[in-house]
Amino acid sequence: MFKSVDVFATLRPVLSPLPSRERARVRGGVRNGIGRVSSSISPLTPTLPCRPRSRLHALAAPAAARMRAETPPTPRKGRGGSWLVASALFLIAGIGFAEPNIKNLGRPATPAEIKAWDIDVRPDFAGLPKGSGTVARGQEVWESKCENCHGAFGESNEVFTPVIGHTTKDDIRTGHVAALRSDTVPQRTTLMKLSELSVLWDYINRAMPWNAPKSLSTDDVYAVVAYVLNLGGVVPNDYVLSDKNMQATQNQLPNRNGKTREHGLWELGGKPDVQGSTCMTNCAPKVTISSRLPDFARNAHGDISAQNRLLGGLRGVDTLRPAPTEFVPLAARVSKGATGSTSTATTAVDPAKLAAQHACLTCHGIANKIVGPALIDVHKKYAAQKSDAAKLLVVRIKSGGSGAWGSIPMPAQDHVPDADIRAIAEWIAAGKFQ
Amino acid sequence: MADPMRIRAQLKDGGITEVRVLMAHIMETGQRKDSAGNVIPAHHIQTVTATWNGKTVLSAQFGPAVSQNPVMNFSFKGGAKGDKVVVSWTDTKGDKRSDEAVIA
Repeated sequence: MFKSVDVFATLRPVLSPLPSRERARVRGGVRNGIGRVSSSISPLTPTLPCRPRSRLHALAAPAAARMRAETPPTPRKGRGGSWLVASALFLIAGIGFAEPNIKNLGRPATPAEIKAWDIDVRPDFAGLPKGSGTVARGQEVWESKCENCHGAFGESNEVFTPVIGHTTKDDIRTGHVAALRSDTVPQRTTLMKLSELSVLWDYINRAMPWNAPKSLSTDDVYAVVAYVLNLGGVVPNDYVLSDKNMQATQNQLPNRNGKTREHGLWELGGKPDVQGSTCMTNCAPKVTISSRLPDFARNAHGDISAQNRLLGGLRGVDTLRPAPTEFVPLAARVSKGATGSTSTATTAVDPAKLAAQHACLTCHGIANKIVGPALIDVHKKYAAQKSDAAKLLVVRIKSGGSGAWGSIPMPAQDHVPDADIRAIAEWIAAGKFQ
Repeated sequence: MADPMRIRAQLKDGGITEVRVLMAHIMETGQRKDSAGNVIPAHHIQTVTATWNGKTVLSAQFGPAVSQNPVMNFSFKGGAKGDKVVVSWTDTKGDKRSDEAVIA
């Protein structure tokens, strides 16, 4: 158990010689991560170091939490329980023993490595290296390394969107790019959107040229930034950009005042970007039918309800009749259909036609077996036994069944109106098949 | 008056001067309509002339097919460092613009 803690202790100093800025950032992230772990592991290891500093520590800590989770709960009684604990201890301690050279894992980052990684430049120009570059030198670099993609004047739209364009002298004066608020320009250029000069410097420094990032010298980065600003009309032709006048140049950027922080993304109580007030109070709009079938086209394909598959439920409405003017729920429609067909069943005296209409005869021949038994056989079997065979057949037709005539089931026919079922059942029970 | 042109003239190997020009112009074709459905009147560069020490080295006629803020590259033989290259254009509204650069 404590062995695993020792592992942490050896890992801890690995990345500690970070510069103070970096360390502050790392520590903030790690503290959250270790907070979870220490709360779960502290009953077992009260001496866990509580001020971890390294990023590696953050990686190792959740692993410890997992180990803790896999450890069985504290045994209550018996030798089995203590064996479990012993094995769990061995497992945890085994991590340390399985890696005897754990102390050799990693090494302190060298100052040179940290210097190579630590290249970010912030809006307050923290991290900006000393140097300077002229517009003229920037033009040389631009023409040799930047022009192929960005165009001679930063205007090219072929590989990337333009770097330069649509900023005016008035924008430089006000610090707001007017073109951002109009639809007169086809797209936004880099210089239109740029509000922090450090971003341009940092981006060119770390990412440009695209095929050889970080290949520009510090002075050349200054020079290219100066040239880009010169192309945009921000600085004159003889301008020399350096770490001394970055802030002064920042104060000339066309969009320097274009960034807002008074909204919900930045401020906790800020005004959110999305206003959902209308939707929150009255979201559901009234449903209006915006499209309907014209009356003359309703029966263009005949009676849709008569054009169903032979098996399964009956779908569709009788399109030979005019469309209902009011919406009728499905349940009401079904019961209407049932009562409607009761009247037709009483008037339509031919149950053989009903049997054909409801597709009984698809599976049942009158005198021959198809999928189900012949109706004559059904008649013989049931009518010979019972006087109330019709009632039994009604149940069999309505809810289906299997076994009486073999393993092939008869599906439930509950979509057929009750009156029709009764008529068919009585027809079969009577056995008068012409 | 339109924004100034950006002109760059460089002497290359073999005594060839390469000139690149960015002309800031709206280059409206006369075939677009605004949101009210009215035709936006044509407003584009019609003629471009480039001179080197007073001698015309390029003359061109631009039409509605040329893009907004057109970039033009051309080269001519001769030229020496310090010579002046002057590029000028006139557009359909009669506006004119003339800018010069020194061969580098």
